Amino acid sequence: MRLKAFTWEYGRQFGTLAGLVGLTLVLWALTPHFMTVSNLMNVAQQTSINAIIAVGMTLVIITAGIDLSVGSIVAFSGVVLASALQADIPLPLALAIGLAVGAFSGWMNGLLITYGRLPPFISTLGMMSVARGSALLYTGGRPISGFSAEFRYLATGEILNIPLPVIIMVIVYLLGHIVLTRTKLGRYVYAIGGNEQAAVLSGVNVKFHKAAVYALSGLLSGLAAIILTARLNSAQPIAGIMYELDAIAATVIGGTSLMGGSGRIIGTLIGALIMGVLRNGLNLLGISSFIQQTVIGSVIILAVLMDMALKKQRT
Amino acid sequence: MKGTNQIITFLAVALLLLSTGCQRGKDAAASDVLTIALVMKTLNNPFFIDMETGAREAAGKLGVQLLIQAPDREADVEKQMQVIENLIQRKVSAICIAPSGSKEIVPAIVKANRAGIPVLIIDTRVDSIALAEAGGRVASFIGSDNFQGGRIAGEFIVEQLAGRGKVAILEGIPGHETGDARLSGFHQVVDQVPGIEIVASQTANWERGQGYNVFQNILQSHPEVQALFACNDLMALGAIEALSAAGRSGDLLVVGFDAIQDARTAIAAGTMAGSVAQHPAEMGKFAVEFAHALLRGETIPENFPVPVELITRQNVAASPTAANN
Repeated sequence: MRLKAFTWEYGRQFGTLAGLVGLTLVLWALTPHFMTVSNLMNVAQQTSINAIIAVGMTLVIITAGIDLSVGSIVAFSGVVLASALQADIPLPLALAIGLAVGAFSGWMNGLLITYGRLPPFISTLGMMSVARGSALLYTGGRPISGFSAEFRYLATGEILNIPLPVIIMVIVYLLGHIVLTRTKLGRYVYAIGGNEQAAVLSGVNVKFHKAAVYALSGLLSGLAAIILTARLNSAQPIAGIMYELDAIAATVIGGTSLMGGSGRIIGTLIGALIMGVLRNGLNLLGISSFIQQTVIGSVIILAVLMDMALKKQRT
Repeated sequence: MKGTNQIITFLAVALLLLSTGCQRGKDAAASDVLTIALVMKTLNNPFFIDMETGAREAAGKLGVQLLIQAPDREADVEKQMQVIENLIQRKVSAICIAPSGSKEIVPAIVKANRAGIPVLIIDTRVDSIALAEAGGRVASFIGSDNFQGGRIAGEFIVEQLAGRGKVAILEGIPGHETGDARLSGFHQVVDQVPGIEIVASQTANWERGQGYNVFQNILQSHPEVQALFACNDLMALGAIEALSAAGRSGDLLVVGFDAIQDARTAIAAGTMAGSVAQHPAEMGKFAVEFAHALLRGETIPENFPVPVELITRQNVAASPTAANN
């Protein structure tokens, strides 16, 4: 029994990791441009924005929820951050404002879901529209561009030849992993997703912790907005459209079940990397972007099929 | 059990191999040929499909390898930047870009510059101040004279209304250089005619569905409007559907921009008055030819305006690009 549980937990990770390694080997064989240090850093950097959002998405999905508003929150916190930067507010304060807008929007989701008793799909669908509309309203539809080199360093800077967004991504994953495996919040996240009623009965403050998870998802969207804005040197109110689907895809490829109660942060990182490597590899090979969409879609479907096959064996 | 899921994963990889393997021969054989990359805004818009056709013809004649890539969605500058970064890793000889954002594309151009890869810009002009601030360089701009196109549309509407009437405008996404240029060209002509009143000017974000909705709303508040200028054909066609739903088909003077096939059909049918034609196939052709010339050490024009023309019922049948789609 214990062995079976062990292979269930880790076997899935090995499967995803084997997929990533296999994909890497295939691309290595197919093109000389793939397995170079500069390209691998390039892939890691391109993956970072989706990967960071996907950490929040993973927590939300483990509670058996969903967050459709992350892309819009990226846009909204991005434009507020941008206007703060242009108003010459000190950099740390401007960054804090951007993060706060994200966290607040996410927290509103949480309150609507817990106290308003709305299904997460509906609440975050509403927030998706509200945050997008707010971003457009706030800017009059126009992008806000042109920031200090100091701010843009967050996307262009490197430490020991590693791009800063990659370092930020790694830190977020370390923290995410610790939160999920070593803290009370992490245990409650699994408990809520596994059986919310049982969690309530065993004295977990479900409302508080659920709201906190959505706030965290919003906060990470705010962080992604900082990197995106620095990368493009511009904050667009139409940024981040469909980011929610990329984040959900990374989470699902990484083995988190949409039914809630199970999933691992490291799986999500591998999932996000698989998507990033696929896009990069198909570009390097000069393959049409139509095929790229088809391939990524197929990978999502295969990953979930794999999950279901495993689940059948488990019971 | 571990075995089963690894088998499934490797099946997934095998599928990828199948889908990519067929491209390998092309990649390996082309190592000594010049590779020119063309990065578009999207590949699901007839305008860019025409551009692709023109570029492919030119590449075939010149014997260069042409890589055509685009993000999934037209407004996704970040994905476009990713595509450019990946092409830099692939060490292509030159990159032609139709930017999804005039300012947002600048960091990607700078990256290509640093890698020593010349950049040519097509269709949408790069913000020159942002480019200069970032120290970026662009070898050439090949694009329609959108400002002139806006003027032509304005002159046509003024002439058709005999200098007196109420006009509505459907704008593109604010901040897009193409839409802004068309709009200011249009205003430059129309604003000088005292009899012309602009009753509404709203964005429909370049989209057909939004063109329908926004124009339906404009019709509600200004039923007396006599002419519409839409900054692209998709919005104009949406508005025409709104007119037909209101039972006012052919009642208004609708002028669009781009002269895509659906618009030409509408012009021939009389539901649309005119559309300013661009020549995307020419743009694609010149971009590849200029990139090739530049790589051979020849000098190329810094700025190359591709002429625009107004398509109306009189010349719709004779217009040369009509056969393309």
